[in-house]
Amino acid sequence: MWLAGIFPQGHPNLLAPAMGALKRIAKPAVEAHHGLPVKVPTFVSTDLPDWDLHAFCREHNWRVWLKGPYYDAARTPTWDSFVAARDALAKVWSTDRLFLQAHVTGYEESVMLAAYRGELLDCVSMRKRDITPEGKTWAGDIAPVQPEFGEPLRAMVRELDWTGGGELEMVRDASGELWLLEMNPRFPAWVHGATIAGHNLPALLVEAAAGVPARKSQAQASEFTRVVLEVPVREDYPLPPLAEPLAGAVGHSMKHPSGLTSLAERLHKSNPELIELVEDMSEGADGAPQLPDSFLHDIGGYDLAAVQTPQFLYLDSTAGTLFERASQRARRLSSNEVQVVSGYSIKTNPDERLIRLALDNGFLAEAISLLEVQKALEVGFRPDQVILNGPGKWWPEGMMPKERLHAVFCDSIADLDRCVAAMAAGEMSSRHVGIRLRTPNVVSRFGIPLDSPMTFGKLVDAVARLPEDSAFGVHFHMASSNIGVAQWWHLFESMLKWCESIERLTGRTIEILDMGGGWFPDDWHAADDDRFARAVERVKAALPGVRQIVSEPGKAMAQPSMAVAMRILEIQEHEDDYVEAVVDGSIAELPMFAFQPHRILRQCADTGALQPLGRGKTHLMGRLCMEHDIVASNVALPDGTRAGDVLIFCDAGGYDRSMSYVFGRG
Amino acid sequence: MYLVEAKALADGELAQAPSTPLPSDRWESFPFSRLSHHGSACCDLAREWVIAADYAQLNGGGLASGPRWLRQKYKWGPSAWPMHWCEVVRLDTIDCGAHSALAHEVFAARGLTCFPGQLVQRYSTDATDQWRGSWEAAQSSCHWLDGEHIYHEATALLVGEDKLQIWDGSAGTWINPRQGRGYGSVAAVRIFADAPLAQHPGFHWGEQRIRPNVWNQIA
Ligand SMILES: [Zn+2]
Repeated sequence: MWLAGIFPQGHPNLLAPAMGALKRIAKPAVEAHHGLPVKVPTFVSTDLPDWDLHAFCREHNWRVWLKGPYYDAARTPTWDSFVAARDALAKVWSTDRLFLQAHVTGYEESVMLAAYRGELLDCVSMRKRDITPEGKTWAGDIAPVQPEFGEPLRAMVRELDWTGGGELEMVRDASGELWLLEMNPRFPAWVHGATIAGHNLPALLVEAAAGVPARKSQAQASEFTRVVLEVPVREDYPLPPLAEPLAGAVGHSMKHPSGLTSLAERLHKSNPELIELVEDMSEGADGAPQLPDSFLHDIGGYDLAAVQTPQFLYLDSTAGTLFERASQRARRLSSNEVQVVSGYSIKTNPDERLIRLALDNGFLAEAISLLEVQKALEVGFRPDQVILNGPGKWWPEGMMPKERLHAVFCDSIADLDRCVAAMAAGEMSSRHVGIRLRTPNVVSRFGIPLDSPMTFGKLVDAVARLPEDSAFGVHFHMASSNIGVAQWWHLFESMLKWCESIERLTGRTIEILDMGGGWFPDDWHAADDDRFARAVERVKAALPGVRQIVSEPGKAMAQPSMAVAMRILEIQEHEDDYVEAVVDGSIAELPMFAFQPHRILRQCADTGALQPLGRGKTHLMGRLCMEHDIVASNVALPDGTRAGDVLIFCDAGGYDRSMSYVFGRG
Repeated sequence: MYLVEAKALADGELAQAPSTPLPSDRWESFPFSRLSHHGSACCDLAREWVIAADYAQLNGGGLASGPRWLRQKYKWGPSAWPMHWCEVVRLDTIDCGAHSALAHEVFAARGLTCFPGQLVQRYSTDATDQWRGSWEAAQSSCHWLDGEHIYHEATALLVGEDKLQIWDGSAGTWINPRQGRGYGSVAAVRIFADAPLAQHPGFHWGEQRIRPNVWNQIA
């Protein structure tokens, strides 16, 4: 790229592609791939607001790669790992302009090519047969490129007027589809492996350029492997000394950035206009999030100057709309055979105003302790509108209502036996009694496990002990925001299969199905009714005895309903535009800071306007004397921001509220 | 494979054949392995569990992904036959017949078209001697060993119109259709297809053509 920068039109002595061609293969867009029988995995620029990046990760089940502009990739299976990897990569590349790309599972294969002035000289295909821990080729098999790939490749090389080597790195998924990960403007490291199989591409390139015929290479094998060799060191070129271990560090680790990264870093610094290549692909976004009008309306209703910070702000009309919408959806999805009803999970936010909204909008109350049951009853729920769940349903002792509950789901076989005994003794009564299933293949500590035929057998035996005069039901719960939306729907399908098996093996009909939860608000509210309507149809087909589906949107209800207001205490400017601002709020009010981004507003002290914070070099430090009390990283404070200004962290009405703790308040 | 039946078939086949020009001749009349069912709750539960657990482990991945979890659950080694569903789920070592029977069941339960597959593979007499030792020590039939050749079972999956992929459940890998004559190479393949696919003129397995219900010699 550096050479191409010097000779943008190419050079006769330079067997490398020109700048124009390089731009058109820049990763991960690989604009030039059109015509090849490949797809490109979905990607976004990290210029987008954090809010949207989090949504991208959820949509792709957190199977995503954060990639540097030229090189480097990190898997980021959680939000905090994403934030950490972004910081690290942004430092190495001196840019925030990175890419987030969906992972494709499958077998890796590559096509290597050599071309001279737009003429494809040869190409060859390689499937990785052994890989290093970093995913690099260790062994492979070589095969001719099939015409359905070779012909469009020839056309592409012509169109790009390519000169030099090249490699297309791809993944073949389980259905045989090819996905293009990137195109590299160079011969791959396995170039000699192909020569072993009779394809000496560098020789053909030199032949084309120099006009000197290359010697015909002989195929010795169609597969190649690398080996590790220990060789004598020549006395006239002795080994350099080993670097000094870092004082106080463990072991002799000298993790330098890889050669390529540090080279690119130097090029990038000496030639900053090269980053233009990447910038071309983003649309000059400032990373500022979009906020629903109702947030601005509700927050605008507060006299922020008078608010004692840090303070949770209840967003009245926002909360009202959310509950109303969920209630309407449940009504639309209901039919004569199957009623769909929402459950409000009290633990997501036990604020009375929200519990009352749930009651007024026809929700059931989902409680995980008898204190929560009590709270629901105090707000006005009847016992037969309460679902009792979780491993702590007998706590605190002596508070179990005598009246009939709507449903009780047993969290373990021991819990089931205790419930059976309590019902027999008249200490508990419920219209539905069922089991919570532990999600197989997704780590969870809740519910009855299904991980072996023996545990499954115990579950089947236990169901037989449930009283016949209560209807039977099944509950499962997994946070969709953690495992991703598509994977949640797979889990739903998987659970239906387990339910069908349980019906066949126990002879009991499932009449109530309770599905949670942990939906990220946007995924829940933005999803159209169709997805949910299809799910209801699937339930009807698989479990025709189901009369009621309880859907638990979880934090989708609570999270948008509150914000946290905090004040800036001081602003400290550092080198290279880095700013540290201390606020009077902290992670004690935002314990979810590591799991989800929060959209942040600043109220302009002069105009009172609410301004969303975009991306920048400011870190907002909480008031706590704790190293990790950083409530936001990489944000930009609007011009004119000063100590005393109020910042509003939205999206804090879920576990931020219910799990907030008292710390540093004396 | 049922031990007694298998041995009788193998010996009978050998006695009748005047010469053995093809390594697959020894296994000409061999049936593929199937799991038995007691017809009662014990086997119902085991079968339901395997099928539901298989779907769960897909984690949203492609339906045509190989069920590698079965290879993680089971080591490959000698098994006693007949084998019932309620028995197989309690074992931790099973042979290729049980591996391929389980893989066939789970692929079919995912709604895919699949066929029981038989292979003859080339190894070396050193290797087969060693396997003979372990199988004899476990008092299991060695009908599957013959000089440098072995009989092996796998599961063929139909992909698209007429392409096959062959899943080696004992290894947890797809078998490479590009075959040489080296160690572990496939000498012959037979898949069992019912009507209407029984009359298929030949499925594509890489560059190879595989006709159903007959042994196909691989180059
Ligand atoms: Zn049985």
